[in-house]
Amino acid sequence: MDAVALPGSGLAKGLAVTLRTMTRRSITRQYPDVQPDLPPRSRGVIALFEENCTVCMLCARECPDWCIYIDSHKETLPAEGTARARAHNVLDRFAIDFSLCMYCGICIEVCPFDALFWSPEFEYAEYDINELTHEKDRLREWMWTVPPPPADDPAAELPKEAR
Amino acid sequence: MTTDHQQLIVGIGAGARELATEDMILNIGPQHPSTHGVLRLRITLDGERIQTAEPIVGYMHRGAEKLFEVRDFRQIIVLANRHDWLSAFANELGVVLAVERMLGMEVPERAVWARTLLAELNRVLNHLMFLGSYPIEMGAITPIFYAFREREEIQRVMEEISGGRMHYMFNRVGGLKEDLPAGWLGRTRHAVSDVRSRMGDIRNLIAGNEIFHARTRGVGVLSREQILQYGVSGPIARAAGVDFDLRRDEPYLAYGELTVPVVTRKEGDCLARFECLLDQVYVSLDLADACLDRLERLPQGPINQRLPKILKVPEGHTYAWTENPLGINGYYLVSRGEKTPWRLKLRSASYNNIQVLAEILPGNLVADMIAILGSMFFVVGDIDK
Repeated sequence: MDAVALPGSGLAKGLAVTLRTMTRRSITRQYPDVQPDLPPRSRGVIALFEENCTVCMLCARECPDWCIYIDSHKETLPAEGTARARAHNVLDRFAIDFSLCMYCGICIEVCPFDALFWSPEFEYAEYDINELTHEKDRLREWMWTVPPPPADDPAAELPKEAR
Repeated sequence: MTTDHQQLIVGIGAGARELATEDMILNIGPQHPSTHGVLRLRITLDGERIQTAEPIVGYMHRGAEKLFEVRDFRQIIVLANRHDWLSAFANELGVVLAVERMLGMEVPERAVWARTLLAELNRVLNHLMFLGSYPIEMGAITPIFYAFREREEIQRVMEEISGGRMHYMFNRVGGLKEDLPAGWLGRTRHAVSDVRSRMGDIRNLIAGNEIFHARTRGVGVLSREQILQYGVSGPIARAAGVDFDLRRDEPYLAYGELTVPVVTRKEGDCLARFECLLDQVYVSLDLADACLDRLERLPQGPINQRLPKILKVPEGHTYAWTENPLGINGYYLVSRGEKTPWRLKLRSASYNNIQVLAEILPGNLVADMIAILGSMFFVVGDIDK
């Protein structure tokens, strides 16, 4: 409160800001009608590319709140000729409970076989909390929404393959 | 109170002795809109005047420190960025700085500058939140819309680089999770200059407003002694003339190569605290620009270090502290050479800042309590951890 300030000058100043804003374009997002333009790194939902999963369980082990459920069994393929028969893991169940997930992305980071990806999709709210556990079919559906990663800054170190 | 508003008792009617007042105990919270969450204040009132005030904390205690002890260092970052949800990036930073110091790890230069840049953007986001929410408590609805418009600008570049809008989860021991996307520096520069050009709206609307001044000037004055006794830090302490900022006084990251102007005020009242926050936004935007300049000139290089599959921190202990948006965050890390810390003590700014309420609330009116509480700039998650 300066001694020389006219009474009501604060009000006038405030109204001036309001008036100036009135002349600017509105920044309202018309969300349900217009989808937001999300960057490719957005952490919306986790997608599973089942073929790449070897049931190594790293993601389930590293998850800070253990919200990944994996069941599997072993199958032995009879080998041709004299080769030894090989056993391999078959994935029976892969589920992520998104009601527990903290969206940290550690599972995606640790996956050594590129079976998990982030997708920016976010519209999967449910009325029943149990529905938030996405089984492997649903996780696979998200796979088709995964965007290609953005190009890196020119000053970034080249990837190992290109060095 | 040190204002010119003095309460004057003009006369006592007959029978005043029979009308002797009785103190009333009033619980503000844990569910009250003015407490921004679940802070509970137990206040003894004489009429409308506060006699004693006691902050009761712990309603949101999530046992973060205990959880740290059974998590590896990457998982700790998940938890550490959640206690103060308005400064997630700054919280991650303290943990990784402590671990890197124990490992004696050198962080690539590009990562250091990118971290400094992101920490300053995070500071702007945090301050804008309070610059919007504090006027709401004073009855001014508009500024929050301006504050959120600006927040969105910066939020967008933060989301583009980290993928998160709140819990960035972008720090890793030894650097950052991923490199900057192409063109991100330009978009960030654009966002920073946009925010700077429009900060005047908030300043014109609120900082010079006489109603706002009447509610905040001379209210809830913190003294230097109280600040030192209670360990108050951050913009609240600087508003009372305590000229202490770790970015300048004990530089970490790239702050040593930058000149950090420290915003201070003398008065220590609610208005000074608000003005400190407002001016700090300008400082942070300038620092962000300086980081952008440097990042554009840096030669090609990595953004993180290759880590072993299992990261074990050597035996020992260290204390890393950082200037978080709300004050000093300290991380005391004790390791016994395992992949989890033996102890990771968290010193969060809001916890200390809120304790001083017991000192400054008594003597004020209930209406001023709202003004004081709002100007202490705390996050309840940061108090309760």
